[in-house]
Amino acid sequence: MTPTYYLLLSALLFTIGAVGVLVRRNAIVVFMCVELMLNAVNLTLVTFARINGSLDGQVMAFFVMVVAAAEVVVGLAIIMSIFRTRRTASVDDANLLKY
Amino acid sequence: MLALQPPPQAPIDAPQIEYSAILPVLILLGAACIGVLVEAFVSKASRWAAQVTLSLLAILGAGLAFVLYVTDSPERGLTTLYRTIAVDRPALFLWGTLLALGLGALLLIADRTVERGGAFVAQAGIRPGTVQDRAQMASGGMQTEVFPLTLFALSGMMIFCAANDLLTMFIALEVLSLPLYLMCGLARRRRLISQESAVKYFLLGAFASAFFLYGLALLYGYAGSVKLADIANAAAGSAASDTLLFGGFGLLVVGLMFKASVGPFHAWTPDVYQGSPTPITAFMAACTKVAAFGGILRVLTVGFESTSWEWRGVLWVVAVASMVIGAVLGLTQTDIKRMLAYSSIAHAGFLLVGALALRPEGLSGTLFYLLTYGFTTLAAFGAVSLVRDSNGEATHLSQWAGLAKRSPVLAWVFAFLLLAMAGIPLTSGFIGKFVVFSAGIQDGMAPLVVIALVASAVAAFFYLRVIVLMFFSDPAPDGPTVTVPGTFTTAAITLGVLVTLVLGLVPAFALDWAGTGTFAF
Amino acid sequence: MHGYFGAYGLVALLLVVGAVFVTVALTANRLLRPARPTPQKLLTYECGVDPVGGGWAQSYVRYYVFTFLYVVFAVDAVFLFPWATVFAAPGFGVATLVEMFVFLGFLAVGILYAWRKGVLSWA
Repeated sequence: MTPTYYLLLSALLFTIGAVGVLVRRNAIVVFMCVELMLNAVNLTLVTFARINGSLDGQVMAFFVMVVAAAEVVVGLAIIMSIFRTRRTASVDDANLLKY
Repeated sequence: MLALQPPPQAPIDAPQIEYSAILPVLILLGAACIGVLVEAFVSKASRWAAQVTLSLLAILGAGLAFVLYVTDSPERGLTTLYRTIAVDRPALFLWGTLLALGLGALLLIADRTVERGGAFVAQAGIRPGTVQDRAQMASGGMQTEVFPLTLFALSGMMIFCAANDLLTMFIALEVLSLPLYLMCGLARRRRLISQESAVKYFLLGAFASAFFLYGLALLYGYAGSVKLADIANAAAGSAASDTLLFGGFGLLVVGLMFKASVGPFHAWTPDVYQGSPTPITAFMAACTKVAAFGGILRVLTVGFESTSWEWRGVLWVVAVASMVIGAVLGLTQTDIKRMLAYSSIAHAGFLLVGALALRPEGLSGTLFYLLTYGFTTLAAFGAVSLVRDSNGEATHLSQWAGLAKRSPVLAWVFAFLLLAMAGIPLTSGFIGKFVVFSAGIQDGMAPLVVIALVASAVAAFFYLRVIVLMFFSDPAPDGPTVTVPGTFTTAAITLGVLVTLVLGLVPAFALDWAGTGTFAF
Repeated sequence: MHGYFGAYGLVALLLVVGAVFVTVALTANRLLRPARPTPQKLLTYECGVDPVGGGWAQSYVRYYVFTFLYVVFAVDAVFLFPWATVFAAPGFGVATLVEMFVFLGFLAVGILYAWRKGVLSWA
């Protein structure tokens, strides 16, 4: 099982996450897709650590996890504030600021 | 069987930490943590005074540590903390710029005279549009967590400029971004668009950070390390596929360009600048752009100069797109904060021209342009916050008509700042554009510079349109008034105007500072 | 099945058989049963009584606060575990210990703030 399969899988996950961010309407789902992208990066880092024979990638994956956790806290607070005001978490409804 | 002891380690040397070099950042971070404790333990009545004192002392202390270090700093720069932070001359220049701009932004944030209670909401948990919200709009308190958040963001920006490897750069990017996402949503008035701008900034910013991170992962796979110097060495001769290198570079650049609001990755800028409280817009427009371009300069010069022939064309297109988008779309704007946002997109394009000229003149020119642009923008947004009517800030352009008749001081100051942004001689903007474009021509990018000059002329049109509107139109009968600013806002605007004027008349000393030394790795 | 993908093939076959099983059973049910829906039969089941209220319930913000405090301290633990396995090895001096306490100190600042803001009490 070559590590290339893992790279392809993580590229696929990253693409799915990116498309999800662009297409989905619920802000929570958009944020979940961003987290999917960050986890795809984690998989890439660990796979490259295996390919390169060093542990740096795994250590970097730890850092990415911590940053993702902090981002979740901040992001959900912001999304919750907008949800409490508008009773909807749809990003299409955030249209007061226009072109 | 389980191994109960880990395998024996070779003795680890503790890393050498040059505390005197990184002391400014440590002071800011320490003060931010103390600010959080002040939030927790100081009574509500004295919190504002305590936080403002603490933050001002922190920036002044960091400035003092910076000045003491820079007077005898090594010419070649040094790298510390296991070569993750490179405190070299460009980084020190940017640190000085960020500290000065941070001081100005902090003065704008701390001001409570332009709007009663300050530009920030008193209790962020109250839903906008309710009775309690109207009550808190009129009250005198403010959410003083903004001060430690500002210090955290400022220290993240300083680390971002000095980060020698991509992982430190990513963490610094998040440290500078997360407080900004929160602060965008804390406006006292018009909280609906403030919250909307926070959501947009957050979702798009997280998206761009994920791209940056995937680029980091691909470059790690290519080079076996995320240090910029190692990536440059690996690019010279490596067995790994070049797809990884250029794919990684492309994704990294997407993340960086987003933060610097370079078009076509600029979509967040107008909405976020318009919706945020104006002191935060000033902080973002000035400091984030300086930090982002500090990072871009370092990545392009240290990491990828050896492969520059491959990627220059793509970044040419990006620079042209940014200048054209900023100039052309700025013409159609009717809100002054959005107009300034599009002008910042155009300026980001000009700065990218300087960053693409991978030579010492390009580096010094871009650093000087960042310095001048930061102060001009800070003062401009400070001036915008002074024009108010009963609903808060009057940012529609039609409300600015005839402002010179009501308040000539503000009109002349704002006209001077707009002329500086347009690049009229005798202002710092002219010198900045001159050094950046001449570096571009020296590097053989003449077509790019021609497009930049055309975009500059187009952008000048919408700056001049505002000046004509202020001076030669009749004021609306129920138009806005200009608030007399208190000490803090006056100080911030004066600082910006003075730097713009001085650097326009005698730029030589600043150009020398920007031109000493190059990157250390 | 043999070969490298034999095991995966077996799992795939199991999934297919499971899906087919469920599909056949439900389809047979639908074809064979009588279908005469009335409004009362289509109501949501709520233990035999008439359903009350809408489908959504209000959730407390408190749950979110405890969740994120948990997440933050979980990633704190993520850093503690590798440190704990190596910090007593020769060559790592007192500096390593002090460093981790500095890290925990920063987290303590955060939890002090949360405690003073009244977030840690349930009621």
